[in-house]
Amino acid sequence: MSRKIITLSLVFAMLLVVTFSLTIGAQEVTLKFLHRWTQEPDSTFFEEVVANYEAQNPNINIDMEVVANDPFKEKIKIILGTENAPDVFFTWPGEFTNRFIRAGQVMDITSYMEDGWGDTLIDSVVEPFKYEGKIYGAPYRLDAKVFVYNTKIFEDVGVEEPKNFSEFITVLDKIKNAGYTPIAFGNMFPWAVSHYMGQLNAYSVPYDVYMEDLNPAEGDFAHPGYLMALEKYEELTPYFNENANAIRHDEARVSLFNGEAAMMYLEIIEIPTIEQQAPEEFKNNYDVFVMPPIEGAAGDQTALIGYPEGFVVSANTEHPEEAIAFLKYLTGKEVGRKEAQDLLFVNGVKNVVSEGEIPDSVYNTTQLVLKTERLVNWFDSSLHAEIWSVTGSELQKLTDGVATPEEVLENMREIAEEVRAQF
Amino acid sequence: MYKKNITPYLFIIPALLFILIFVYIPIVENFYFSFYRMNSYAPGKTFLGLDNYIDIFQNEIFYTAIINNTWYAVISLIFQVGLGLILAITLESKLLGKERKFFRTVYFLPSVIAIAAVGLMFYYIYNPNLGLLNAIINLFTESNFNYAWLGKPNTAIFAVIAMSQWQFTGYIMILLIVAIQKIPEELYEVAEIEGATSIQKAIYVTIPQIKEMILVTSVITVIGAFKLFTEIFVTTRGGPYDTTQVLGTFMYKTAFFYDKMGYAAAIAVIIFFITFTTSVIQIRLANRGED
Amino acid sequence: MKYNSHNKSNYYLKKALTIFILLIFTVIVLYPMYWVVISSLKTNNEFLSAPLGFPNKLMFENYLSAWNKGFSRYFFNSILINIVSVVLTVSIGAACAYSLARFNFKGKTIIFYLILAGLLLSPQVAVLPLFKLLVRLRLYNTYWALILPYVGFNLPFSIFLMRSYFLSIPREIEESAYIDGCNTFTTFIKIILPISKPIIASAAIVTSRFFWNEFLFALIFIEDSSKYTIPIGLSHFRDSLSTDYTTMLAGITIAALPMIILFLVMQKQFIKGLTAGSVKG
Repeated sequence: MSRKIITLSLVFAMLLVVTFSLTIGAQEVTLKFLHRWTQEPDSTFFEEVVANYEAQNPNINIDMEVVANDPFKEKIKIILGTENAPDVFFTWPGEFTNRFIRAGQVMDITSYMEDGWGDTLIDSVVEPFKYEGKIYGAPYRLDAKVFVYNTKIFEDVGVEEPKNFSEFITVLDKIKNAGYTPIAFGNMFPWAVSHYMGQLNAYSVPYDVYMEDLNPAEGDFAHPGYLMALEKYEELTPYFNENANAIRHDEARVSLFNGEAAMMYLEIIEIPTIEQQAPEEFKNNYDVFVMPPIEGAAGDQTALIGYPEGFVVSANTEHPEEAIAFLKYLTGKEVGRKEAQDLLFVNGVKNVVSEGEIPDSVYNTTQLVLKTERLVNWFDSSLHAEIWSVTGSELQKLTDGVATPEEVLENMREIAEEVRAQF
Repeated sequence: MYKKNITPYLFIIPALLFILIFVYIPIVENFYFSFYRMNSYAPGKTFLGLDNYIDIFQNEIFYTAIINNTWYAVISLIFQVGLGLILAITLESKLLGKERKFFRTVYFLPSVIAIAAVGLMFYYIYNPNLGLLNAIINLFTESNFNYAWLGKPNTAIFAVIAMSQWQFTGYIMILLIVAIQKIPEELYEVAEIEGATSIQKAIYVTIPQIKEMILVTSVITVIGAFKLFTEIFVTTRGGPYDTTQVLGTFMYKTAFFYDKMGYAAAIAVIIFFITFTTSVIQIRLANRGED
Repeated sequence: MKYNSHNKSNYYLKKALTIFILLIFTVIVLYPMYWVVISSLKTNNEFLSAPLGFPNKLMFENYLSAWNKGFSRYFFNSILINIVSVVLTVSIGAACAYSLARFNFKGKTIIFYLILAGLLLSPQVAVLPLFKLLVRLRLYNTYWALILPYVGFNLPFSIFLMRSYFLSIPREIEESAYIDGCNTFTTFIKIILPISKPIIASAAIVTSRFFWNEFLFALIFIEDSSKYTIPIGLSHFRDSLSTDYTTMLAGITIAALPMIILFLVMQKQFIKGLTAGSVKG
């Protein structure tokens, strides 16, 4: 009797140990994942990506959260201040991310990149994720800004893609006289104007000088090229639709789609939106050109505005290995193929898609990015937060014609000086 | 006996703990924060002394905000308290019969809707191309008016203020109506015997009798004007170019856009002093009324 | 009083004029609401092409789509947070108010003034430290992150409101209860609370109106969209739906409707609660 009990309890104990160690072995790891795509088809895409990953890795559980684009810029700061900060999160490379790196919030993934991972990625789009020589993130999709124009309107007015900035103004003038809105523009949130400025600054200011000025500890924006960039922007303002500061970017885009406006400065990642949402009439009649270069300006006339977007791993994650693995997957070939098919986006993996697999419009604009030797960052995410807050408002004033380029630059230099004093 | 002594405290402790932990300690801590440079995502902080305050008083946006809060207070006094009073007296006058109940209900209705919902509603009403307001103007003038009410610095703050008048005039009106209903009927009878017109009755009987409530509603309105946040946040977010910033949104922006939490805390201290003194004035006034 | 015919026609003229003016205000109040509701029943194209037009076919699908795109969740959250906050505020507040109204004890005056001064403090002033506190307590991004501060900020008012009511209850009622063998606690539960229903209802209505409207705390203390309350959900909706206007307008209508219905059904209690709230708040 007692032997039976002993055997039974032994067996029971062993079972316990086995189940216990099994549970340990298969212990579920929950990763918190934050991105900014609230709309279809992107939101479904991420749900599927996460589901696929969880299916392939049964011990990983991904807890996904989403914050819409504009509020994301505030929310991310609030979230990173908490202990339940996400393990893997979306970010824009450049100063937007650099401040989090300085605050010790982002994990240095250089060693993982050097371990073969980096070889699979396109160097020029990993570059933006570097800070002081170390790599902090991986690209999710390539991007650049181009003018998307309505070829029918161009034919109708009798103009062609401008080759340089003064030609551009002539073209805009003709379009305006023909009764069209030359450029659709929604600048309620001033990131929209920051894209113009990023490109114009790159054309007007020597690259090294520009890069130095973007460093909040040193930047003084003393180079005369900045004034030139602002003046060039001012030259464009008469050709925008009315109330540019009162409407959102996607509200303005409607007038491009329905043929009221001749062109709009769009990110190439919006081309899929054209393919998905624009009326046939527009879809069959559009083309792109980059911001026409400025003759005789001091900057690099081959530079193209367009930083990739990507994901980083939190420095405070409790599961660094698992988080890195998920980041690799998220920015890797498998997801990249799916991304190209479902969303028409191209990620940073070498040769992830070839010609013919995706619409030509997407493929060709992506080639623009890959051929460019010098990508420059969006002006807003490359500036220190405080400098950008002031500059963004100033640029809205310039858009409305209530401030001059000189005033904008003066205020910008002033705030840059204040910020410098904090370092 | 011992039990008897401890009971009152047992009843009080939960409430006291809540108030201390979630109201007093944070507010005191906020004063402390206001002397530092810190942000929401990095751990460290630097002592700055009064620098944040000095910076605030040199910041143009701060003055824009104060002016906007003041505009909000003044216009709200005129419409919510002034027009609200006229409506209250009219609805309570003998001129109206049962229909007064209908008007009362209708006018009060907007105030029960969440502010965020009203704000978004007006965000669309003011939209330059597809909003109700321009559509109506175009209907009457047969023009193609596409003014951006919320997008132009001249009108944006007033458009938001107008929205609040739409929402809260009826609310203040109801408060005044309740006060009017408490006035003894005899006072009016006496006035009538002396041959007073309805306007005279309003000036010499109604208004003096509800003086306290008029003061109270005025103070509520003023405090509300300096606590403003949601209305601005859901319509203009302080734009275009910071012309519609109020203290509340300016605080939010400095904390989560500029990454200057200490600076934002200093703005909060200023909000504290403004609302606190106004409230103290209210209590003083209310007490005087009771004497 | 002699009314001659001139006076009488004068009276009717005045009345007609007054009602006419009042009707203009009625239109100003109601027409924007009507516009939102009618627009929410259009297709997006109808809305874009004719903002004032009437829909060809009533698109109730917009409501379904708003509901499915997260509104059901926001609704549930708002109601849950509201109920828990109201119950906590009213029960904790009633106990405190009762003690302040009935007992003499050491420190009573100080405590009373401490609570009273709480009336004067604006939530905006506490929001940044509260955020840090909630993070430390690991309550950030939970329902409690809203409920606890909400209760804290609304207790002073409800205590004040209920205390003055309890003071007006004659002591004899409780004394007979003590004779029947009740202790302080059971007297409070069985005798005081039942006869204080009207004031409890007032406190509940005023505080729940605050919770239903609250924006700043909900904006900062909650991150997860599945925990958004209606005001934040609405604002999030606009940012994420962008040009899907009619679904957005349906969302606004869904957000506004419950309070409007509640008000129309319970007008009397509503107004009573709000006026009680204003005098003391």
